[in-house]
This record gives sequence, C-alpha cells and structure tokens, in this order.
Amino acid sequence: MNATSRRRNVELRLGLVAVAITTFGYVLVQLAEKPKLPADLWLFLAGMIILYVVAHYAIRRLAPLADPVLLPIVAFLNGIGFVTISRLDRDLARSQAGWTAAGVAMFVVTLIVVRRVRTLERYRYTFLFLGLIAVVLPLLPGIGKTINGARLWVGIGPINFQPGEAAKVLLVIFFAAYLVDKRELLSSGGRRLGRLLLPDPKHLGPLLLAWAVSIVIMVRQKDLGSALLFFALFSSMLYVATERAAYLLFGLVLFLGGAMISYRLFDHVQTRVSTWIDPWSVAQDKGFQIVQSMFAFGTGGFTGTGLGLGNPQQIPNAATDFVFSAIGEELGLIGTVAVLAGILLLVGCGYRIAVQATRPFSKLFAAGLTTIIGIQSFVIIGGVTRVIPLTGVTLPFVSYGGSSLVANFGIAALLLRISDDNARAAMPGRASAAASAVHG
Amino acid sequence: MDRAIRRVGVAVIVLVLVLVAQLTYLQVIDADHLANDPRNTRGALRDANRPRGPIVTADGVVVASSAEVNDGTDFKYQRQYPNGPLFSQVVGYQSFVIGNSGLEKTYNDALVGRDTALQLKNLPDLVSGKDGTGTVVLSLRDDLQRAAAEGLGFQRGSVVALDVRTGAVLAMYSNPAYDNQPLADHDTKTVQDYFRGLVANPDKPDLPRAYREFYPPGSTFKTVTASVALELGIATPDAPSYPVLRELDLPQTDNTLQNFGGKSCGGTLAQSFTVSCNTTFGQLGLDLGDMFVPGMNRFGIGAVPPIDLSPGAVASIGPRPGSFTDNQPLFAFAGIGQGDVATTPLQMAMVAAGIANGGVLMKPHVASEIRDASGDLVRRIAPGEWRTAMSPGTAQAVAAMMVTVVESPNGTGTAARIPGVTVAGKTGTAQADGGDPHAWFIGFAPAEAPQIAVAVLVERGGSIGSEATGGRVAAPIAARVLRKALGL
Repeated sequence: MNATSRRRNVELRLGLVAVAITTFGYVLVQLAEKPKLPADLWLFLAGMIILYVVAHYAIRRLAPLADPVLLPIVAFLNGIGFVTISRLDRDLARSQAGWTAAGVAMFVVTLIVVRRVRTLERYRYTFLFLGLIAVVLPLLPGIGKTINGARLWVGIGPINFQPGEAAKVLLVIFFAAYLVDKRELLSSGGRRLGRLLLPDPKHLGPLLLAWAVSIVIMVRQKDLGSALLFFALFSSMLYVATERAAYLLFGLVLFLGGAMISYRLFDHVQTRVSTWIDPWSVAQDKGFQIVQSMFAFGTGGFTGTGLGLGNPQQIPNAATDFVFSAIGEELGLIGTVAVLAGILLLVGCGYRIAVQATRPFSKLFAAGLTTIIGIQSFVIIGGVTRVIPLTGVTLPFVSYGGSSLVANFGIAALLLRISDDNARAAMPGRASAAASAVHG
Repeated sequence: MDRAIRRVGVAVIVLVLVLVAQLTYLQVIDADHLANDPRNTRGALRDANRPRGPIVTADGVVVASSAEVNDGTDFKYQRQYPNGPLFSQVVGYQSFVIGNSGLEKTYNDALVGRDTALQLKNLPDLVSGKDGTGTVVLSLRDDLQRAAAEGLGFQRGSVVALDVRTGAVLAMYSNPAYDNQPLADHDTKTVQDYFRGLVANPDKPDLPRAYREFYPPGSTFKTVTASVALELGIATPDAPSYPVLRELDLPQTDNTLQNFGGKSCGGTLAQSFTVSCNTTFGQLGLDLGDMFVPGMNRFGIGAVPPIDLSPGAVASIGPRPGSFTDNQPLFAFAGIGQGDVATTPLQMAMVAAGIANGGVLMKPHVASEIRDASGDLVRRIAPGEWRTAMSPGTAQAVAAMMVTVVESPNGTGTAARIPGVTVAGKTGTAQADGGDPHAWFIGFAPAEAPQIAVAVLVERGGSIGSEATGGRVAAPIAARVLRKALGL
C-alpha cells in the first residue's frame, strides 16, 4: 500500500497548491475593491480546505489507487472559476460556493454508491429510460421553464435545474454498454467503398437515435450547444467502439444535414451564424455579447488587467457562458492558456484512464465521459472566441451553474472509480481474476 | 479501442491548439485594435476611477478638474467643467457612456499619468504613492476666449485667434456651444438624454464650427488668390492694371461675375484688393487656371490641419484639380472665395497667420505644456511647420495690401482699426445658398511685427442679416479680440 499512500499524498499536495492559487486570487479580488483583507477570508479558506480534504479523503477511503492528478485539476479549474465569479457578482459567488459543496457531496456519494463500474453496465436500459426522460423533462408543461431563450430548465419549488446535464452522463452509460454489446456486429461486414468499409445500414439505428435526440434538443429546446455536444459525443463513442472512421464520416454528414435544415428553418440558428460571421455590424444588439467578449480578450492582452481591475461585467452572462472571456480580460493570455492547459490535462487524464482500463465497458465509458468535458469546453471557448458560432453551454467546473457543477463532479468521481479499478486489475494477484473477467 | 481513443485524444489536442491560436490572435496580435475600438468603453470606465489632472488655460483658469465624490455610483471621481460652454468645444468631455472627446481624449494619457515622459518624471515618487496625474496647460487664454464669446454675443459664428509664430491657438470659440458637464455625468440616462438632445437640436450646438464646419470664405479668400498670383508672377501689386468693370463676362456661360453692390472697380492688384474688387479677382482666377488649386494646397486647403483634438479639424475644400478646362467659371468664382471653395474658420486664421509669418503656416495646437501634479514642466508641445505657402517677399507684399484694407480711408475693413497699432486684414461677405450672407474678417496685428492672427465668421449676417458685410459685422469682433490679445 506504499504506492497508494504516495499517490494520495501527491494528490493532497497538488490540491493544496490549487487551494493556494484560489485563495491568492480571491484575496486579490477583495483588495482591488477595498484596501484591506476581507473579514470572512479565514472562513472562506477553511471552507475551501474542508471541501478539498473531504473529496480527497473520500478517494483515500473509497478509491485509494485512483489517479492523483485529476482531483487537483478539478480544484484548480473550479477555484479559478469561483474567483472570477466572486469578482463579477457576490450573490452568484455565494450560491456557487453552495453548489460546489453540493458537487463535492455528489462526488462522495457517487464514489460510495458506484463501487463497481460493472454494476452500471447491467442497468443500461434503466439509464436510457432515465436519460430520455431527462432530455424531454424541460418540454413538459408545468415544470419546464424557458430561461434566456432556451427551454432547458425544470423548476420544482424554488429550485431550478437543467436535467440535460444529468442526461449526458446517463446516456453515456447506456451508449457505452450498448456499443460494447454490439461492437462486433457494428465493426464487421458491410460494403466497401474505396478504402472505407461502410457498415450495414441496419446497424446504424443507434446513430440515428442519437441524431434524433440531438434534433429534438435543437428544435424544441433551442439549445444548439447541447445538440452539438450530444451528437459529437455519440459519434466519437461509436468510432471508439468500432474503430471505423466510416461512422465519423457518416456522423458528420448527418450532422451537417441536420445543421443545414435547422439553419433554413429556424431564425435563431440563422442569427447565431450571421453574428458569428459578422458581429461588428450588429455590435450594439445581436452581436453585443460576442463583441464585448472580444473586447475583453483584447483589453486583457497578454498579462490581463489584473484581478478586480478590469471591466468584465460589461459582458452579459459573464459568470456563465462568458466566464472564459472574463478570465481573458483580467488574467490575460497567461490565464486563458493556463485554463486551457488545465482542461487539456483533465482530458488527458481521462483518456489515459480509458486506455488503461481493461474492460471494454470501462474503456468506452471513460472515453465518453472525457469527451463530454473536452467537447463541451471546445464548444463554449470556441464560441466566445468566435472560432465557431456561439452556443450557450457551461465551461466544465469553471462556469457558474449548479446542475453543471454537480454533474461534472459526478463525472470526475466516475473517472476516478474507473481509474481505481484499473490499478486494482493491474496489481499482481488480482490481475488474473480481472483479466479472466474481461476475456472470459 | 485504444487506437481510436488516442486519436480522439489527439483531435482534442488539435482543437485546443486552434483555441490557443485564436486567443493569441485576440490577446496579442489584434489586442491593441480591440482595446482601442471606440465601442469598447473599458478604457473610459477604468479612467473614471482614477485621479485625473486638471486642464488649465494659459492665464491660469481651471477649465476641467476632477473631484473625489461619493454619489452612490461605482465611480470615485467626478469630472467638473466650471466654464462649461466657453471651452467645451476644445476641452471636450470625459464620458464612460459615449467615450471621451476633444482634449480629454487626445491628452487622456497625460491627464491620468500614463504619458511616458510623465511616468519617467514620477518614477522617484512611485514608492511614496504621490499623485501621478498630469496637468494640461492650454495655449488658449481665458480672457481671449471671453472676448471672442462676448464679441459674437447671440450671433452664430466662430472666432479663432492664433499665435502667428508658433501656431498656438489662443482662442477658439463658436456659438452656439454646448455644456460639457452633463456629458460627464455618472448617470447613464442623464448623459444619453442630453446627448440625444444635442444631436436633435437644429442649431447644432455640438458642432465645433471653428474647426469642423466649412463656409464659403468670400472675399477673405482674395488673400489666397493674390498670394498665388504674386508668387507665380502673374501679377505684381502695381501691374498690370485690370479694367474697371461693373461685371466680368465669364467663359462657357451667359452668367457674369458682378461687383459688390453693382459698383464699378478695377485698377492694379493693390487697388483692387483694398476695395475688394470682384471683377479683378475673378479675372485672376481665370488667369491662374489649373495652377490655382496647387496654390491653394500650399495653404493647406484640401488637407486636414494636424490639430491636437479628437475629433480633429476637417479639411477645407477648393475646385477639383485639373478641372479648369471643363469648368472655367468655377475658377473665376474661386478667385473671390465662392463657388467650390469652402473653408473652416481655423483654416482662414491659418491663412492670415501664414501671411503674417513670412509665408510659413505652423501646425495648430490647443495645448502648450504638460505639467506634473506639483506644477513642474514635463514637456512642451513643440511648434512645428506645416506648410510653406509662399516666399517671405510675397507674404510681405500681401501683408502690405492687407494693411490698406484696414488703414486706408477707402478700405473695407476700417472697423478693425486699433488706435496705436497697425492692423492688417481682409473682409469677406460671402453669398451662401438661399439666405443672408456670411460675414468674415481675417487679419493680424501688429502689422510691422505680427503676433496674433485672427479669423471671425458670423453666420448669415448675424444681427443685421441681409445688410451685413464683413466690414460691419465681423471686423469689430476681430478688433476686440486683437486689442485684448495685445493687452490694450
């Protein structure tokens, strides 16, 4: 168990670095406003350390062999997001702190409940059912709500949440299990077209289902970002399961077709595209957000204005969709590249866990979860930097948003669970048992 | 599956690299452009929370200052303009709603202490936390600005006074003027309401007529016509003698060019200049032909005067170069400052100053010095030559003719006389489409050793309307400003 404690000690130390960075940023934000330290600083620091230690201790007890880098990166991203939100809006920061606590609770509960990833595989159709319900829930009259033009919300009593965040994870479980079952079938046979091996049309069912789900989201909920995310996620999982590029190609064709049709049919899609191509001519109305976002990046420059010294509140929705632009203004290129490096490390961690996994389901599941984080980050950062049309999704762990934070902490816990399984399987004595389970 | 996972991983890395490339573009390559876009109000917002140095006239009157306030907004400082409309068209405003304007914009860095020379000077004070702001000292004088405004009274028009040797603007006022105080307000709605009111006002009080509006210069432009003709050797003050005419027949048309009031006049260039004889100068315009426009360009007409204001001065205009063959009558009209010629009052003041300064036009500037918070000089706005319009000899000849306009009994500008000082000048009564004429006077004093040049424009004849001439309406205002400037 020497290796275990070494891993966990690394995790603890790295995590304390992340906490230190967050605290330092938080102090700077406070000092920019008033020339003395905030009275609640110690409370804040204690809260941060307690949350981190709780998550860390949960891993120590429940997944002792798991990867030691993932949690510190999550803490870093979450911390930098919190500092930025606290700089933008005190009330949101308070609420984000609460949601972070809820996220850590989700993290611990996930580690406790999901003792074996295998168990999830067994209930695939239950998760499919729950996932589909989560997708359509916001459309139901009475509980469904439209906020900022997108019907993504469910309100029960005073609490609003986005079930779509949970749906992503639930559907990834189903897809991983389904594809592991069917992958032999999907990757064999079919017709050859040049170098590409085309799959049998009857096996395209799951892809078409994913496409249908995406279109429903796009059309009914006006949520372009999630539609793009769902579709890219399922296409890439299909590719990973079968290793056949034809699926990617087919997926791309389906996506472009769907995108084109929705561009023709829906005003809001056309607006998104036209403000992407030329935001400057509509800088005062439709293009206001994206233009302000670019001003934020430009004003920040290489080093940024300094925390608390810029004007990121000029950007509408700076705490949610545009949190990355706020970071770009106050922390500059140095800050934005640091966040991108964090995301890259997180994604790298996730794919490494996927590659190390011995069971196909774990592999596909880990790859799917990681892809969620990777693509979602690209969709929103690409949107606010005008690389692609802007679609509103959250930046994992960084943006303000309860549902997103809780779901992402769940993803982190699941990845660590798989990582712990991998390490156990690789341990001498147990390896043979695990290996026989896979290949038996 | 591992191979596919690695490929997906590589794809994500590629996407992140695309983002890094775009961020490098936004935050490094295009950063200055984005940061300085006029629609980006961040700079103005940031400066609104910093101490900001005052703007002071050459004779020590504070025209802009910042005071620490606690008015319930996020802003710590309120900009104050104690002289409001008197200096607004030069000082401009500091506004985080509609952006900065005027001198507040062009000298923003100096005022907030970001000016390089100022920062170097303040380096030793960095530790002590002393006020690092800069003070901008205007070349404008409060007493001259008041003389200009009082001279115009309720009449719409402009007055510009220049130091002939340095190009320093000593007075620049136009009526009506706006109050810059509401535009610096911390309440967005107050600013927007006042600004909308200004834009909607048909009198255009937001328009700094002195440097951003042009008018036909009328006979004041005969100074330019005479200078170009003398410089090119087409005429001397004493020869040839132009025929005495009531009206000049124009080529290519049945129209004629008439003398003011239907009188007959003619004679030498000097005689024609004194009585402002249109037929002679119409003929000169025709004689100059395609050489006329390059001659005007040497006075800066067709170019933007490089003044230290934002928005800056507009260019004055003349006939299209090379258009003489196609449109000869326009050149006859250009000879008397009508037709296609339109000039700003600033440009005409620069013409007078150029003649007074031996033919050299200086770059105009409204600020003269930057000082630090304790009043020590940081840097001086150095005078610079802008254009050479003519030789010193020509300038002297034109100046001599301008003296007769004011000093000889039959001159048109006798109202500009100042006891004990020789004044050189030229009047203008410019016809403008559909309405009373614009009254002009340009000139300088003392004629023997010129110090101050002045241009006065009164729109639509001012208080006496159709009866107005430059000599009756504009010349007395010029005399008032010149007298004040010379301390008499």
